[in-house]
Amino acid sequence: MWRLGPDWSDERGLAAAWRAAQPFSHLVFDEFVSDTALPALLAVLEDEPVERCETDLFAFEASAPEPTTAAFRALRTSFAVALAPALSRITGKTVARADMRAYAYRVGHYLLPHSDNQLGHERALAFAYYLPSPAPPDGGELELFRCPVERGEIIATESARLIEPRPNRLVVFDVSDVSLHQVREVVGGLRISLAGWFYA
Amino acid sequence: MVLRVTTLDQLFASRIATVVPDAIGPALAAEVRARLDRAGYARHALLDRGSYDVALDPDEPALAGALAGLAGKLTGRSLVLADARALRLGPGDYVLAHHDRSHDEPLVELMLDLSPASVPGADVHYRRHGRVVFQVVSRPGALSIVERGPETACHHAYISKRHLGACVVRLVLRLRDA
Repeated sequence: MWRLGPDWSDERGLAAAWRAAQPFSHLVFDEFVSDTALPALLAVLEDEPVERCETDLFAFEASAPEPTTAAFRALRTSFAVALAPALSRITGKTVARADMRAYAYRVGHYLLPHSDNQLGHERALAFAYYLPSPAPPDGGELELFRCPVERGEIIATESARLIEPRPNRLVVFDVSDVSLHQVREVVGGLRISLAGWFYA
Repeated sequence: MVLRVTTLDQLFASRIATVVPDAIGPALAAEVRARLDRAGYARHALLDRGSYDVALDPDEPALAGALAGLAGKLTGRSLVLADARALRLGPGDYVLAHHDRSHDEPLVELMLDLSPASVPGADVHYRRHGRVVFQVVSRPGALSIVERGPETACHHAYISKRHLGACVVRLVLRLRDA
């Protein structure tokens, strides 16, 4: 299912790209899943229910934190098994397991700027994998911010990178106090993704 | 100023959470908005907390006095102004709950909607332990009066970019016991 293609063969180069990425460490992989495997992946998601989630920070539809179907649990496990070893070598963060939820951002949905670093959660790396959409989204970009810090406090937030939610694209990024990011509001179409975190 | 209370003590146990619709007419609201514009706003752009324009300590003593008097009548308390600010939000703006200024003592928070027009979804939510306990919908001229303790957090909901030209203006007064 999960294809670590030629892009993944130069781990030394990927590690250098990871360290050099701005505003904080991240990597982008296109054509991540083979065309032949994609239908099976989409079929797994067909059976996973999503529900509307809304707080002051976000509005979207998402599957439950723990998958309801055995197929989705297997998908999550296979994702972690396929990627964790390579990501550990590339990022220098030893990760072993991952969680994964399916997300649907419809028109008006968003995820406002935040870092994923939360006490007690032990999140090491974040990921988002964008799926083909029957109505490609307008908006819904992943936006990364540069956050200068003084005496432990963020003193500015500057937009530094926009990553389009292209189908079959995987984004992996660092989790830290300054890994501020958001999903811009979807103003048209539908943005479908799998996202979650890798843990030590 | 019309003293017509439609919602009382919603889900705040013994505390008052009230909306007074039509507390201020559109003409006076436009005058206040114009004065605030002339005095000027500062942009808050620490996006992990909020995105909005703010005017601290707006010079509106008559309006603030009238609103404080109204809040005193409704709550049965003798109240004085603790602080005041005006917020202006446009498409893409918001104020997150963790940016809400913490306070130790109970206070009464007034929010006067000075907006020129209603904006769908531009609500103010009061939360306790993450749960919304009181929601103030966008309604020009309305005044919300909320008795709140330190466990209550407030946020101004994200304003969709689909509402081009939307402008939400809120005068926020915090009152404490005299």
